[in-house]
Amino acid sequence: MTTVALENVSKSFGPVKVIEDVSFTVEPGTVHVLLGENGAGKSTLIKMIAGIHQPDTGRVLLNGEPVTLTDPRAAERHGIATIHQELNLVPSLSVAENVLLGRLPTKRGLIDSRAMRQQAQKALDRIGLKVRLDRRVGELGIAQQQLIEIAKALSIDASVLILDEPTAALSSTETDQLFEIMETLKERGVAMIFISHHLDELPRIGDNVSVLRDGKCVAVVPASTEEAELVRLMVGRSIEDQFPRRRGTLGETLLEVSDLNSAGTLSNISFSVRAGEVLGIAGLVGAGRSEVLRAIAGADSYDSGTVIVDGTKVPPGRIPRAIAAGLGLVPEDRKAQGLVLGATVAENIGLATLFRRARAGLADLRGQRESAQRISEQLRIQMHSVDQQVKNLSGGNQQKVVFGRWSLANSRVMLLDEPTRGVDVGAKVEIYQLINEVTENGGAVVMVSSELPEVLAMSDRIAVMSGGQITGELDASTATQDSVMTLAVKNVDDTSEETA
Amino acid sequence: MSSTTASTTGTTSTWDKVKHFLASNGALVGLVGLCILLFIATPVFLTGPNLLNVGIQAATVAIMAFGMTFVIVAAGIDLSVGSMAALAGMVSAYTFATSGWPGPIALIAGLLAGGLIGAVNGFANAYFRLPSFIATLAMLSIARGLTLVISQGLPLSTPESVNFLGSSLGPVPMPIVVMILAGAAAAFILRYTAIGRSMYAIGGNMEAARLAGIPVKKIQVTVFALSGLFSALAGMVLAGRLNTASPQAATGYELDAIAAVVIGGASLAGGVGKITGTVVGALLLAVIRNGLNILNVSSFWQQVVIGVVIAVAVGMDVMRRNEASH
Amino acid sequence: MKGIIVKSLITRRALATIAAVGLFATALAGCNRDGGASGSDSTADSKATGAKVVLAVSTMNNPFFVTLRDGAVAEAEAKGISLDVSDAQNDASTQSNQLANAQAIGAKAVIVNPVDSDAVVPAVQRLVSASIPIIAVDRGVTGVEVASFISSDNVAGGRQAAEALAKAMGEKGKVLILQGVPGTSASRERGQGFAEGIKAFSDIQVVGQQTANFDRTQGLNVTSNLMQAHPDVTGIFAENDEMALGAIQALGAKAGKDVMVFGFDGTPDAMEAIQDGRMVGSIAQEPAELGKLAVDQAVNAINGDPVDETVPVPVTTVTKDNVAEFLQ
Repeated sequence: MTTVALENVSKSFGPVKVIEDVSFTVEPGTVHVLLGENGAGKSTLIKMIAGIHQPDTGRVLLNGEPVTLTDPRAAERHGIATIHQELNLVPSLSVAENVLLGRLPTKRGLIDSRAMRQQAQKALDRIGLKVRLDRRVGELGIAQQQLIEIAKALSIDASVLILDEPTAALSSTETDQLFEIMETLKERGVAMIFISHHLDELPRIGDNVSVLRDGKCVAVVPASTEEAELVRLMVGRSIEDQFPRRRGTLGETLLEVSDLNSAGTLSNISFSVRAGEVLGIAGLVGAGRSEVLRAIAGADSYDSGTVIVDGTKVPPGRIPRAIAAGLGLVPEDRKAQGLVLGATVAENIGLATLFRRARAGLADLRGQRESAQRISEQLRIQMHSVDQQVKNLSGGNQQKVVFGRWSLANSRVMLLDEPTRGVDVGAKVEIYQLINEVTENGGAVVMVSSELPEVLAMSDRIAVMSGGQITGELDASTATQDSVMTLAVKNVDDTSEETA
Repeated sequence: MSSTTASTTGTTSTWDKVKHFLASNGALVGLVGLCILLFIATPVFLTGPNLLNVGIQAATVAIMAFGMTFVIVAAGIDLSVGSMAALAGMVSAYTFATSGWPGPIALIAGLLAGGLIGAVNGFANAYFRLPSFIATLAMLSIARGLTLVISQGLPLSTPESVNFLGSSLGPVPMPIVVMILAGAAAAFILRYTAIGRSMYAIGGNMEAARLAGIPVKKIQVTVFALSGLFSALAGMVLAGRLNTASPQAATGYELDAIAAVVIGGASLAGGVGKITGTVVGALLLAVIRNGLNILNVSSFWQQVVIGVVIAVAVGMDVMRRNEASH
Repeated sequence: MKGIIVKSLITRRALATIAAVGLFATALAGCNRDGGASGSDSTADSKATGAKVVLAVSTMNNPFFVTLRDGAVAEAEAKGISLDVSDAQNDASTQSNQLANAQAIGAKAVIVNPVDSDAVVPAVQRLVSASIPIIAVDRGVTGVEVASFISSDNVAGGRQAAEALAKAMGEKGKVLILQGVPGTSASRERGQGFAEGIKAFSDIQVVGQQTANFDRTQGLNVTSNLMQAHPDVTGIFAENDEMALGAIQALGAKAGKDVMVFGFDGTPDAMEAIQDGRMVGSIAQEPAELGKLAVDQAVNAINGDPVDETVPVPVTTVTKDNVAEFLQ
């Protein structure tokens, strides 16, 4: 049993004060939530407890005793385990090896594989994760990798556990699973620090909430505090509506997908979206949601079926044709798929129109830059200039850059894959506003999201997927979390591979 | 996240500034420093004829390295440049001497042969998914072999049109003129054309470029074809200087070309690189060789020095990338 | 594309085999005839008369080795032995098969001109353990004690080059040396001979020596660089003709007038340059002599006469005076 506390800690990087005089205490068997927008200082705070940073002033206390945690190993020796936002797994190694990485049991200098399997199995059993021990971690989905990361952290018998946005990549069932594990840890007296952007999760698992803003702790409130109040504390102003969907009148059909089939991933996908409409696609991770968007956008080929955009048939696997027809894909992983991080904001916005606007092979550099300037103002992208490297922008602004690219390309049908993942609350609302602007300007939106409240509030209709099929369509005004989840787990026999 | 960003931009101490300047202009600083050192060591170095000398000797590697810059910016590598240069020169000499084609036509045939072989590299890379390292390693051997087959292993005389590229126009050495023209063309392509701009995008993040509708495969073929074309041009200058196409010409030049590009500030990870940097890199290599000759340094030590320079260049690449990821 | 290459490799290999078999058959026929002839020829009293000797040549695509073979064949006829010649077409494994065949057909001695000094070792070792004397010619066999090793005398060649170059320079002035690939025996020995030879001329000073790796382009570059530092140089010695030809290119009109360039090897291009005066000379090897001496040593070995462990073959200085003999 350990009580962990921070006492008046401050931390600066150069002239920038990142943490200013923050204190809080986490009792054994409780979950303390750190809440704040990106850049509020949450990650820096937990890195001080994890031994990655040392406070400039103030102290870290364990059971009332001041400790100096010079490096992560020192923290580990004190029973502090951390699950970082970025996964620290080795994709080419097996599940068992990853769980015990750095602590592999040896016998006479060789890996004792029997002991390794036993210990790893124990760690997986503890969180109820069913994965074969010798599968390569790279083959697993992101959610399962996250759970393995948790199993790894727990296998050191931690008395203090830090979880930095562990649910960001998890579907709601997997989140439920994680919370169950956290409940048992609570019972065993583990002190936990939890970071999440999902406000609805806080009352389910948290006890107290420290709200951070600009490196200062602005309030410590019980986790049962109303969401609107939490948001107000976080952003320092009130946001009347978390999901400001403005519904308008519907126009002609813009996107028509019929009988899309792709061996092993999609079967008989058919739907249509009209101008001014948002179609939400819900489902569990691995249900084939992203695959539908990628097939429509031409990113992946498919076996049969047709995609018609605004009257034009788009052939399979031909991205430039799809773009020319008016499709724009905002991919799931904006860093790996959406942006050229080392290039400037202007170049990223102009990427889809680089060839279209070129004359005699020459890029329209000035015109593209001016357009990018105009669009980044329209989309309220916060930056020093359009010549700034896009990797230096915040997550929300990066996502707006991807939106901007399609805005410049005059795309009428936007395919959004988890558009608000890893984006803080304030920026989320701005992205919802962009969705509104698309539909108000006569565009159509297909949005895949794992956040049910977002799907329910922002969509006009919701298609629910399971096992590569659409298991039902719901009207968003009457749909509930329960009705969506019922459809999402339907037909689950076909997906046993994913959960086994 | 944004807090850490703020911290790096905020803490620009003098040392950081120096480090940043060195990392982004290291090659130029190195070139100027080396020239000063050599001038102190021997006044012969900074004479007009010797500087022209360095320029002529840098030209072949520089022209080859311009093509290599395209490839490296697009996150590839081309190991076959030396072989393509030799093949192109040999094709010109053969079509002129044996098939009796007019000199200028033979010259063009050689250049096209280079472009074609390069396009084959690009095709293997883009459509058959061979990593460029493997595809061009195979081509290194294939093109050299074809050169030997065509020439029967013997050197052939080159046509006047090729020799012109290696000669002097009055006091002006043609290799330097060709280098400047080729460099200007390469810089123009990289900076102003849609294809050039998309090379940076592909090298920076190929998947993002593909999803944004950039015709990635076609551009990859173009990139390697350009590399073949520039190598062929380098091969012409090389053959022109000797009035001879030798089957063993330009052996091992790929390493010099890659070194010139990397010394010039391009990252082997792709997405970064400039023609001006490549010119500096090629000049630096030529100055080192010239200086070592003039100072009569033992040939054993010369290999050590060249190796150290390449290691330092790659070290700077690592330093740049660390700088960028902070 | 790949298919075509594989196919052409196969056909080449097949052709080589057919050619080898054909050669082998003719050689057999030939030695039968020779055997008959030597039977009636009772003038020779040595054991070697009529004995079978195999000459394994690395390649006949290079005129150098063709001349070497011609020299050997002529000497074999003179000595009355039967000489089987096999051509490995520069393929080390073909050569190793040919050496194995030599034993099978009962060769009393084997003259080998290795494709590769290392790759030939196992095949040669088998012959050595079968007590068949081995004579290596032009290239050695790594780490194996052969009966005799016959090669051009590079050291003497270097000395001859020094004398001829000094004479052309009027026995005074400054000299540059273009070295070959660092560490190779040819570069080492030629350089050593030149250094020894040039010492005799006290008014000649070596002001620079740099490697150009036996390569013409590098010969051109290195010479241009060195001429900047030493514009008053009047002689250049290059350890092979390729570098010498590069040096001539760098010197332009000065070559042969202000600066005397001397090479090594006696290649056709170099002979032409000597003819028109751009180059003062080169050192020509005598491949026919190599072949002749190899056969002589083989005969000695079969007769049980003393065999010279190494036979350095003299080389010839080629200048404008005698270049016509080499220009055919």
